[in-house]
Amino acid sequence: MLVEQILVLLYLAACIGIGVYASRKVLTSRDEYWVAGRRIGTAVNTMAIMASLASGGSIIGVMGYAYSQGIPATFALFAGAVVGFPLASILVARQLRNFGRYTITDFLAFRFPSPVVRVLVPILIVLAFTAYIIAQLKAAGITANALLGIPYDTALVVATLVFVTYVSIGGMIAITWTDVVQGVLMLLVVVGTALAVIWRAGSPFALVAQATEVAPELGGLANQEIGSAVGYFIIWATAIPVIPHIVMRVFTARDGRSAQLSLNLAMLVYSVMILAAVLAIVPLGKLAFPDLVDADRVFLRVIQSEFPAVVRGIAVAAVLAAVMSTTDALLLACSSAIAHDLLGDILRQRASDKTLAAIRVASAWLVGILALYWALSPPELLTRFYTAGIGLLSAGLFVPTIAGLWWKRANRAGGVASLVAGAGTYVLSLSGGVEFGLPPIVVSLSASALAMAAGGLLGAPETAEMQKQIAALHGEGPSGGP
Amino acid sequence: MARGKNFFPMQRGEKIALSVLIVFAAASFLPIARSVEVAGMLLFGWLMAALMLLSPILTLWVFWRGRPRN
Repeated sequence: MLVEQILVLLYLAACIGIGVYASRKVLTSRDEYWVAGRRIGTAVNTMAIMASLASGGSIIGVMGYAYSQGIPATFALFAGAVVGFPLASILVARQLRNFGRYTITDFLAFRFPSPVVRVLVPILIVLAFTAYIIAQLKAAGITANALLGIPYDTALVVATLVFVTYVSIGGMIAITWTDVVQGVLMLLVVVGTALAVIWRAGSPFALVAQATEVAPELGGLANQEIGSAVGYFIIWATAIPVIPHIVMRVFTARDGRSAQLSLNLAMLVYSVMILAAVLAIVPLGKLAFPDLVDADRVFLRVIQSEFPAVVRGIAVAAVLAAVMSTTDALLLACSSAIAHDLLGDILRQRASDKTLAAIRVASAWLVGILALYWALSPPELLTRFYTAGIGLLSAGLFVPTIAGLWWKRANRAGGVASLVAGAGTYVLSLSGGVEFGLPPIVVSLSASALAMAAGGLLGAPETAEMQKQIAALHGEGPSGGP
Repeated sequence: MARGKNFFPMQRGEKIALSVLIVFAAASFLPIARSVEVAGMLLFGWLMAALMLLSPILTLWVFWRGRPRN
């Protein structure tokens, strides 16, 4: 276990080093801190986006889920996010990059100017992402405990201190660089392991056929209800175009085309990684270890049985990298919701650049410490709530964002009504307050769309100036954003 | 506002890609895909796997073919 611990320590030290190095140029500049100076190229952004989406769930969770629930249900769960990226690249990437601000709240508050939008959107982001961060922290603690023998609480505190440090002082530049390292690491480990497995077996199809012959449930849907599979698919497909840590990546791209390309290239890489894991490593795991009680351990068991200590150490670092690469992006998005979306307008009038920088750092620490506090004794409901949190963002933000960019009749009344109706219906539907007999996300997106249509058709049309500015985002008329 | 001008225009390739993705995804969830088995796995699983590769490749192809527009 010593080799594994040394490799992980080296990896954590490298993350801190990147943060300290990045802090020299980012701390006093909003552009550098939130969006890395808007000059990230396609290749770097591709790996950073892939790493931001690929959480601990994309390595440990995906294989555990496929092992216990079958391969088809697993693909349904992950395909929603993959489809969400092409949707984002067509529907929002170029336009938001041309808009050229910092957050999704900036766009919605510009398009539908209202205090409701300026306050409600960041609150939804903080609620949803805090739950998401807690779930990720728990995964880091459990992984380090299981693989390195470190106590859960210690692992949690160390992991939190490391990523809050490099995010708070290094901002988006530190996140981008660490995400690239983390993305390459997890890709090498997962695809490398899968290739080694396929090399021995001949082909992934032969492996799947062999495994499903012994364990037919691997190729079926187990006890999955198709309604919930549809719900998860829609949640992730509609969340990706509006989810803040991905939208911030769009703002970091050097131009709209680069943003579009990197979103799709990232998903191609991500899909290859998921397919390699599920079609090669899981069938081998099912054949070699058919009776695992904890399905999430299938990847680790395969690694332990097939590879030497150095590879195992790199694999542990890759799992932690997966957790941290998502958590750091979530943390930055969450602190931007506080320091930029909620407090930014008030503070910019009164505070110096140095004070603003201190507030950015403090907001990252505030979110990190709160998440750590809850992760140390996690409320059960909260940790289960994170996909629901993503659903809440999708329910509230998808229709206003897409209609705000594409529908000329979209207006302030429609935007505010759509945001409130989508988020409100989702909460009601999820809490069981109202039973519609459909997945909550379907009900809430429909309510949001109806509210937008009613506001747009019955309310006053948008001004010609606003129409002109939105047309400019589409590349019509004068270039550049408002 | 004239009928048909209520939306900002979308490039033809992007419209087609969007339609293909939506139709493919909807078709994958049809009951028939959950009753046919191919190489030990439900057709639904293979279709989802194909969708994971098809969606970024199709959109990349559309962007590479289309004219750059910022």
